[in-house]
Amino acid sequence: MAGLMRFLLGVLVIGALVHGAAVIAAPYGLMRVAMQRASSDGAAVNRFVFGGPVTPESRAIVRPSPDLLYASCVYDLTEGPLRIRVAPWDDYVSLSLYAANTDNYFTANDRVAAGAPIEIALVARGQPAPQGAGKVVISPSVRGIALERRLAPTPERVALAQEARETSVCEPWP
Amino acid sequence: MAKFLLFWLAALVAGTALGLGSAWVAVSQLSLGGRVTVGGWSTNLNTGAAAADPYTRAAVARDGLLALARSETIYFNRDADDGGALLDAKCTYRLAGADLPARWWSITLYDETQFLARNADGAHSLDATRMVRDGGRYMVTIGPERGDAVNWLSTRNAGPFSLTLRLYNPDPALRADPRRLPPLTVEKIACAEGA
Repeated sequence: MAGLMRFLLGVLVIGALVHGAAVIAAPYGLMRVAMQRASSDGAAVNRFVFGGPVTPESRAIVRPSPDLLYASCVYDLTEGPLRIRVAPWDDYVSLSLYAANTDNYFTANDRVAAGAPIEIALVARGQPAPQGAGKVVISPSVRGIALERRLAPTPERVALAQEARETSVCEPWP
Repeated sequence: MAKFLLFWLAALVAGTALGLGSAWVAVSQLSLGGRVTVGGWSTNLNTGAAAADPYTRAAVARDGLLALARSETIYFNRDADDGGALLDAKCTYRLAGADLPARWWSITLYDETQFLARNADGAHSLDATRMVRDGGRYMVTIGPERGDAVNWLSTRNAGPFSLTLRLYNPDPALRADPRRLPPLTVEKIACAEGA
């Protein structure tokens, strides 16, 4: 009887620890997978990857919107800050930043930018802001994802958006 | 010694199964951490927020990775009709509503794997710019065939599907309280034989 109680207690304690660890680790794991996919297994880091229109074959990130044109930049601030610029658009466009634990810690859209490009310097915690930087954003994690969303619900708008975003940039601070 | 090891090995296996199983249930089934349901549409008040608790963060990572925080966009999801039955590609539904309080909004249909259904109908999503209205109101046929519908979302190859409502730059009142979402009903019209 005592043996059974000890067994059940052991199962409960181990279960609680695994439960907590799984819930906390899951976002990091899913984000790591997303970063792998969005960077073509690490080949495209610290630069924008311009996605095409969302189709049934777009299966990297769950629940993509076919009305938006996405560009993603998987970033790694180990070597220093980044410069991110999102080109203007005559409709909704935004830059949003995601930490390694999935938190959306920064977003700016075209209304805030008022027709100008959205431009930031992205630095890791403890890194000095680069000289000449305007808006400086501190990333809570060294790695993460920057995402550009550009509203383009029709093929005509997609073509224009693809042209507009050619001057969007994600690159090591020059 | 062997008995001792076996004892703890069994406890480890059972405990791990219990921990993973309960974590899965907690994250995917239970309404933990800020989930709000209004008229059949569910949202999470803490999506994307740095203040999100571990359960919310895990649930959002699973169902809406890289979603925007509520100040920018509110996402509502539903996988059941007004009667509470799960949405099924073998049935036809009628969605009815009016303009929504946001700068831009869209309604998108996802298959059971949370991606766009594998079909070439070009009817995965309807947005504020393309929705055909009549006196400010609109009706959408959700089913495998367009028929004579002016607004259509195709369920072809979708299986058990779900809908996502996106409200970009929501009006301050809705942002403050997503329960103020205007009614957006999803009524089951008919099901194919064998459904």
